[in-house]
Amino acid sequence: MDPDTAIGGPHGHFPSTQLSLLEAAGSGGALPNEALERVTALYWKPVYRFIRVKFGKNNEDAKDLTQAFFATALERDFFARFDAAKASFRTYLRMAVERFAATQHAAANRQKRGGDIEFEPIGGQAVTGESPEQVFEREWQRQLFALALDDLRAHSEANGKQFQFEVFAAYDLADCARPSYADLAARHGISETAVTNHLAWARRMLRQFVNERLRGVTAGARDLRGEMRRLWM
Amino acid sequence: MDVSDSILDHLRHVAALPDLTGTRYELESEIGRGGLGVVYAARDRQLDRRVALKVLDSALAGEAQLIARLEHPAIVPIYETGTLPDGRAFYAMKLVAGARLDRYAAGPHSLGERLRVVRRVGEALAFAHTRGVIHRDLKPQNVMVGEFGEVYVMDWGVEAVAGTPAFRAPDARMDARSDIYALGALLESVLPANAPPALRAIGAKAMQADPAARYPDAAALLVDIGRFQDGLAVEAWSEPAWHRLRRFGSRNAVLLWLLAAYAGVKLLLFFLRNI
Repeated sequence: MDPDTAIGGPHGHFPSTQLSLLEAAGSGGALPNEALERVTALYWKPVYRFIRVKFGKNNEDAKDLTQAFFATALERDFFARFDAAKASFRTYLRMAVERFAATQHAAANRQKRGGDIEFEPIGGQAVTGESPEQVFEREWQRQLFALALDDLRAHSEANGKQFQFEVFAAYDLADCARPSYADLAARHGISETAVTNHLAWARRMLRQFVNERLRGVTAGARDLRGEMRRLWM
Repeated sequence: MDVSDSILDHLRHVAALPDLTGTRYELESEIGRGGLGVVYAARDRQLDRRVALKVLDSALAGEAQLIARLEHPAIVPIYETGTLPDGRAFYAMKLVAGARLDRYAAGPHSLGERLRVVRRVGEALAFAHTRGVIHRDLKPQNVMVGEFGEVYVMDWGVEAVAGTPAFRAPDARMDARSDIYALGALLESVLPANAPPALRAIGAKAMQADPAARYPDAAALLVDIGRFQDGLAVEAWSEPAWHRLRRFGSRNAVLLWLLAAYAGVKLLLFFLRNI
């Protein structure tokens, strides 16, 4: 399977206090551009990965379908039809993608009928053993944290906390073996207590940014609380 | 920023840890988690003792304070409630050394001992109900039996709790009768396989689908368990005649033996006189 797209970044930075989707929609029901950008920034990659795994699409086709989904959603005011009482926004969106992509997929197959149609293997599923729904959820979490990390980095730079971010990145963003607090302290010329404090600050801020991002793509307190519980517990 | 699976898992874990900066507590380890919060073992630096720290959604802070006011020997005592620097609510409570009731019940305990634990749980419920607090998620996993035999009901529910399927009443709206249902299910869960039918009937009555058909309160259920232990008929079971006779026999065994001995002696004297 060809590599995934790089579309979806670089990530924009949003105000520290985001309105929920329902607050942003106001009484008119339609979402303003800023709220739509938030939704797209968080959901573009999960949707793209979901389409790739669920329908076995290659990189280009999956990109086109993802783009078409968001364009159609905007055109048809799809987000305004969301009913928070029935499901979380994340579930609503995934089901809408599934319906949309299935329809497109079937239409494409009808056009090709009679020729040599070859379906690509469902790579992601075969490799990880995860269902498309699990892939969507995982990618959603990944994107949520990626965006929050961008927010944290920007916040650290804007507030003269680059050093704290550096300590945090050296420990919490280490992909292989994590250094000990003593190693980190020696490397940065600070005490172990300072390492603990810097990590505590960065993690607290990261949690806050993740929750802010969540607030911006959920429909009010109940939806937000449900998503927070799902993510943190 | 690329976030690999291992980094994502790590970040989800560390960013969820409670930030105890500025508090008197030092985090030790996670000891349990439920639908609404995570419980950690922590050290209270001021009093140099270990405590259990439950961290939950800030929206539930009011409920934590309500629970903190429940002072009863069978309700785990709350030492302090507060708010963490990250906005989440927490409460510190006694760290109970012992076994959860589901594990305790798997041990070789007598029927009397099992009923003692259930009665303590029922007393805690009855007390909480008089204070207007319902548990909402009573189950063996939320009851601790301490190393000295003390019983603690923990994890008092809050508005958002929906209960655990096997112990959850099929009620549209949770109230004290829903707790009675859970108490019946808890009784059932600790009874041995050869439990007397009267006890099974008590559990079944508490677990009626119709709340009005259950015991009206926890005290009434406890009274029925007490009647069973005293060898009396229980309200929950209309026993067959042979069972009533057997129960009468076992309750009045001494009297019956004396009567039998008296009759035997009389019979013996009658025969001796006629020889």
